Amino acid sequence: MAAGLALASAPAIAQSSDAQVALAARLDQLAAELAAVKAELARLQQQQAAGVAKAPAEPPVAPVVVPATVLTSYGELNYNRPTRDSKNAVADMRRFVLGFQHRFDEKTKVVAELEVEHAVSSSSDRGEVAVEQAYIERQLTSNVAARAGLFLMPFGLLNENHEPTAFYGVERNFVETAIIPSTWREGGLQFVVGFDNGLSAQAGVTTGFDLGKWDATSIEGAASPLGSVHQELALAKARDLSVFGALNWRGVPGLLVGGSLFAGGATHGHTAASSRVTLWDLHARYAPGRWDFSSVYSRGTISNTAALNTPLVGSRTLIPKSFDGWYGQAAYHLWSSGDYALSPFARWEQFNTARSFADLGAGLTPPAARTERVITVGANFNIGSSVVLKADYQRFRENRDNDRFDLGLGWSF
Amino acid sequence: MRIELAGVVVAACASAPTSAFAVDYLSAEQAARLMFPEADRFESREVLLDAAQMQALSAHGINARSARWPVTIARRGAAALGYVVTDAVVGKFELIGYAVGIALDGAVTQVEILSYRESHGGEIRLPAWRRQFAGKTAESPLRVGEDIANISGATLSCTHVTDGVRRIVAVVQAAAKSGSLV
Repeated sequence: MAAGLALASAPAIAQSSDAQVALAARLDQLAAELAAVKAELARLQQQQAAGVAKAPAEPPVAPVVVPATVLTSYGELNYNRPTRDSKNAVADMRRFVLGFQHRFDEKTKVVAELEVEHAVSSSSDRGEVAVEQAYIERQLTSNVAARAGLFLMPFGLLNENHEPTAFYGVERNFVETAIIPSTWREGGLQFVVGFDNGLSAQAGVTTGFDLGKWDATSIEGAASPLGSVHQELALAKARDLSVFGALNWRGVPGLLVGGSLFAGGATHGHTAASSRVTLWDLHARYAPGRWDFSSVYSRGTISNTAALNTPLVGSRTLIPKSFDGWYGQAAYHLWSSGDYALSPFARWEQFNTARSFADLGAGLTPPAARTERVITVGANFNIGSSVVLKADYQRFRENRDNDRFDLGLGWSF
Repeated sequence: MRIELAGVVVAACASAPTSAFAVDYLSAEQAARLMFPEADRFESREVLLDAAQMQALSAHGINARSARWPVTIARRGAAALGYVVTDAVVGKFELIGYAVGIALDGAVTQVEILSYRESHGGEIRLPAWRRQFAGKTAESPLRVGEDIANISGATLSCTHVTDGVRRIVAVVQAAAKSGSLV
């Protein structure tokens, strides 16, 4: 700086000795100021060193910056090609989901997801737009949280973890779509408790199903009895509330064992006979080393279906009294390189969406449906933890026309 | 007795930051004392990795993420007992604070979860899950689905903490080899 000043002042020096004196004085002043700054710096450094030496027992950890708002998304693009009926091959933007999580404060956040199914939703298209989740979560203690709003039901292994990167196979398994309707969500209030022994518990009061939506002329009820009468908090009939509970234990690394129970009225005073839907499941997952085994059994019952079905006799699809299914699945982390990973898997499923019907009298009671058995073999190819390519082949024992080859692309973040 | 621990600032694509975790289970100091109860002092160091070290880590598939790593050396008298590194990684949506205790031979002695606030997956705090890291070194796979078992429903939390431990073990090993932690 002094040199700069000197250069800048050069013409003045040439013009006047007074100016030279003034410049010299100025330089001296700057030198003094510089010395003062150095001294101050040394003093501050000493203070800092002393401060460190006297640091409290627990100095503050450098702040960890947490984003208050996080954008989330997942998507699935699927290609299904029936091997015996290739003219029905379909490519579909199955799901495109945008969501966010926003933390209002240290203990309170909102979680929401908006889903578009089948790419386009309009009066002439089959797609739909749906709010998949929208709830407030409040941390009450270090182990207890409360959720209120529209939330996913804690059933099976898939419903709360339904992103394409979280399950094997292009399509979600049949048990957790036909018996447990995924993505199953209800409006209500629930409490989530985590225990130090690895047990977690969830329980709450929610909306439930509406048997008034049962369409006996459609096969939708035969594909998924509860999927055809779920309400998804869309002007949901809510005279009859439901209760649910779920227990999961993860006390051993790699192991999850759990079960869930749901029960609630489903006629809401709209029919003379009152009917109740009950659904329960048991599930387990064990992932030792490179293996990943999982299994789910679920069973649902609907009470008083005789009274509900009597006026529907002769229709295509009556309301079943019971429905159930189970699957067993094994996957193996076969290969990985960098962020690429290949995991082949095989899954065996048995499910029956109309295991039994209530007695309507001889000749009127529909026969139970045949139990479908499906074997799925394929592989997930992951790119990092957020992108997955999938391929599988599904063979149906009862309805061979459904045999198909599937390809899928998914992401989640 | 003095303890000096520094956290790592992790800046994610944030709008407005919040100041602290909703659920803080342990402070960095408590974790260090838990890991090395026989220590009579904790000395902080800032490890500064040079380009060659960063490249060497990268060649082994380790993204060091930062050249600067605060490392705490646990001492009893003049003797070093081991090292503690605190860090934070994103789980699924939220940050997870954790601390890794490492012996002088580079083997993990203990992992402690300092803070966790995801809606799911708090089970990574369970001792049984964290014990899986004991004895792991920079030569171990330290990967979920190999030598570390997953927690169903908390895959991302497990994966990212495991990745973080693998990174820290490698960084400490590189620093120890270069003499930065004497």
